[in-house]
Amino acid sequence: MAQTEDRRRITVRLTILQVGVVVTFAALAISFWFLQIVQHSRFEEMAENNHQRTLALRAPRGVLFDRNGKVLVENRFSFNISIVREHTSDLDRTIRLLAEVAGVDVAQVQQIVDRHRGEPTYRPIVVIEDASLAQVAAITARRLDFELPDVVVQEVPTRQYPADALAAHVFGYVGEANDTQVGDGITTGAIVGQSGVERVYNKLLMGEDGTKRVVVNSVGRQIRTLEEVKPTEGRRVQLTIDYDLQKAAEEGFKHAGFNGSALIMNPSNGEVLSLVSLPAYDPNDFAAGIDRATWASLNTDALRPLQNRTIQGRYSPGSTFKIVVATAALEEGLVDPDYRVNCGGGANFFGRYFLCHLKGGHGSVDMRTAIEKSCNVYFYTLGNMLGVDRIHKWAENLGLAGLTGIDLPNEQESIVPSTQWKLEHTGERWYPGETISVSIGQGQVTVTPASLAVMISTVANGGTRVTPHIIRAVDEGGGWKMATPPAVAERVAFKPTTLAALHDGLWRVVNGAGTGVRGRIPGRDVAGKTGTAQVISNQGRLAARGSGRDLRDHGWFVFFAPRDNPEIAGVIFGEHAEHGYLGAPIAKHVIETYFAKKEGRPLPELTPVPAPKPPETDPDTITVVAPAVAAVTPTAPVPGTN
Amino acid sequence: MFERRLYHHVDWGLLAAVLALCFIGVTQIYSATGGWTPIVQTQIYGVMLGLVALVLCLSLDYRSMADKSHFIYVGILAMLLYVLFFGAVRGGSRRWIDLGSFNLQPSEFAKAALALVLAKFLGESRRGAVTQVDLMIVGVITAVPLFIIARQPDLGTAATLIPVAFAVAFVAGMPMRLLGVLALIGLLAAPIAWQFALQDYQKERISTFLDPSQDARGAGYQQIQARITVGSGGPWGKGFTEGTQGQLRFLPVAHNDFIFSVLAEEQGFAGVIVALGLYLFVILRALEAARLAKDRLGAYLVLGVLASFTFQVIYNITMSAGLAPVKGLTLPLMSYGGSSMIATLAGFGLILNVRMRRFTN
Repeated sequence: MAQTEDRRRITVRLTILQVGVVVTFAALAISFWFLQIVQHSRFEEMAENNHQRTLALRAPRGVLFDRNGKVLVENRFSFNISIVREHTSDLDRTIRLLAEVAGVDVAQVQQIVDRHRGEPTYRPIVVIEDASLAQVAAITARRLDFELPDVVVQEVPTRQYPADALAAHVFGYVGEANDTQVGDGITTGAIVGQSGVERVYNKLLMGEDGTKRVVVNSVGRQIRTLEEVKPTEGRRVQLTIDYDLQKAAEEGFKHAGFNGSALIMNPSNGEVLSLVSLPAYDPNDFAAGIDRATWASLNTDALRPLQNRTIQGRYSPGSTFKIVVATAALEEGLVDPDYRVNCGGGANFFGRYFLCHLKGGHGSVDMRTAIEKSCNVYFYTLGNMLGVDRIHKWAENLGLAGLTGIDLPNEQESIVPSTQWKLEHTGERWYPGETISVSIGQGQVTVTPASLAVMISTVANGGTRVTPHIIRAVDEGGGWKMATPPAVAERVAFKPTTLAALHDGLWRVVNGAGTGVRGRIPGRDVAGKTGTAQVISNQGRLAARGSGRDLRDHGWFVFFAPRDNPEIAGVIFGEHAEHGYLGAPIAKHVIETYFAKKEGRPLPELTPVPAPKPPETDPDTITVVAPAVAAVTPTAPVPGTN
Repeated sequence: MFERRLYHHVDWGLLAAVLALCFIGVTQIYSATGGWTPIVQTQIYGVMLGLVALVLCLSLDYRSMADKSHFIYVGILAMLLYVLFFGAVRGGSRRWIDLGSFNLQPSEFAKAALALVLAKFLGESRRGAVTQVDLMIVGVITAVPLFIIARQPDLGTAATLIPVAFAVAFVAGMPMRLLGVLALIGLLAAPIAWQFALQDYQKERISTFLDPSQDARGAGYQQIQARITVGSGGPWGKGFTEGTQGQLRFLPVAHNDFIFSVLAEEQGFAGVIVALGLYLFVILRALEAARLAKDRLGAYLVLGVLASFTFQVIYNITMSAGLAPVKGLTLPLMSYGGSSMIATLAGFGLILNVRMRRFTN
């Protein structure tokens, strides 16, 4: 019957469908079993990677204090704006929108992103460092609108240095670790010291970054924190620098109107009270990542603000070198302080005539007067008696040759020639005639301001060559612990007669008829010596005329005070200051500040003075006319060429 | 019209399973949308309205409804055409009639209407087995709404009409040979369809399915995330509202297309087996209703209604596990969607209707 056949067909076909459905569902159940049971751990890990992020929490660097506990360098919080590409569908759009909202150049943002393209996508690319509050507000608003969900604003601790680039070259600056610095606890992108104390004591200052594990949603927004390891702040470090003396020295330069450098220290132990190098950079520019334009301008600036002149600039010491020659002659026993030389305005050595700066000559002078008047002929004579090797030996004893060993990076060696040195460097033997130029600090003598500061300290303290240093104490977490001062490099006890003659002579430079009268402070017995460093020989000066180079001479002033039991010593280097005596007022201001502070009196303030009038004859300006001398006297290197 | 004795023949087991699935759906929507949201409330209203529709479809004799099926069919076509020209636009498609407080999606009701009209056409046929002419007419009846829906465009819903026609025709005695031929034609036509009929985004979805990693950020993203969601659920799940993938929105439209993934993540393999079991029970129980049906009309009607339901359930669950290309096909009874819920429950009203009236004349 059609009806039953119909029924049968329906039943059969329904059974087929039934079996089909059951088989399909079984297949589905097996699929889920595979995903959820067999491959569960794999997918669980993927889900976790999806929604969990480990963020680095940057540790604040250790705070730097001055010797009296005043905060010099601390940390502030700044905002970094970054792109996290992980969930970005259209990176170009994000970059465009971000640049527009933050008011920065699209090409610049693009460039930064390109540079980090190879990194994992979950790592934020910082595109705006130290963003302004307006930028942060604008970005945050767009983030909430889901327009810029892949842009994050992070708060990071950032170095805060004193205003006006104070002591910039002491602190140095920080920056992202470069490839050679990575390793040994420093990771890619870490902020490390790149110069100055920041670099030398980076390990102490850096601290330990923390981590934070957070849950993020599909657009990268943080939902909650799972785990947080707080960052450990870097060690607190106390420097030997005295904020007030640092300020006094820098203000002194500003007042004097020239660039240069200064190193002022305690002559008995080498603690650096003030270290100046001008012009300086502003370390704050580096704190949150320096922009390319500023970096480029710092690097191409003809005045080389990045160079720490105190330890990296090498200049001819000029008349300040006469102290070395005097010490050598007295200590070697060649002469005693009463030894007299008759200066007739010049003298013949090895067939050439060497001039004194005073045309008529100083007449008969002893050691003290020779130092006071800076008589060239007197020191030509001593130098000739000593020979270059003994001069070299005593320059080394006083700390003027080689490195001072200061705890700052990239110090340059000071050079005081010797016969061996010349043979090694030029392959030529030493001509005795060259010694004559060396004995007044010309010729191949080139020294750093720091080494001159050590030299005058050694003279001040009677023969102990101290190592200048900047770190005073470290707080390792359990309170302040004094840093171990560097060992004394050399100790040669001077004969009392030597010391008396040197101290008297140097005292008379400032307090008598010498060139350092501008450094005189009644009752303080300041002792010192001026010097002039020729930038270029007289011949070269003619050749370079009109080249636009600053050919004016540099001026030196080395000093200590008081004469007996000195407490403060140092060097003032005036770049293109022309006259050494122009540095003396800076020293005077620092010394006055030092004693005012020590005695609890109000600190002195600089009052503008009328432009100094040069005296008729400048005793430190070498006016050697003999052409032969110029030939064997290469000019002092132009500052900044090393 | 609703005789008291019929009450005893209602398939309470089937109804209970259907309501259990609705309940699971609502709880998972609650979880996926993050609490007592308007979406959850809308879904509950949908279930309630659906139950009204179910009772309505249950009370009228399916035979008298079948007699009016051509009116229903034409009415639905009119609504679909209206939607095509005047419908509310959302996400680039014109699928809804805006009724103020809620939107009606006529294409959802087209499935039941098609089942009804096809059952009527083939069930009342005098001849024992279907002829080629019958099949051609079936094809035309199916093609008209399918074409209109596809133009909205809503390829997913349009595709669900095809199983309706095939299931009814199959049980009505369509020759197996013809089925094989059609399958072959379909296979051969695929490359041509690929070339001419599919939109770029549709092609992309399919090619992405074959290799999700080639576009892990774009179209492949959903598929990869679906697999992670399901796989990370493990045997017992992460717990109600504890799923990370759904809660943190790594999974798109979690309350809608991917509601089953959310279930798998939070309730684990155990929850999946329970839900799969319920769906299988519902389908087998409905097939039983077809077998028990008093007449061919009843059997065909049940089959027609069941076909689109089953097709959607299987496709959506496969897609939820990241094992099928992502298509905008919801999971009946569980996914968020008022029209779908009402239409689906109305369909079950028809199935219960057929079983309940198996003894009546």
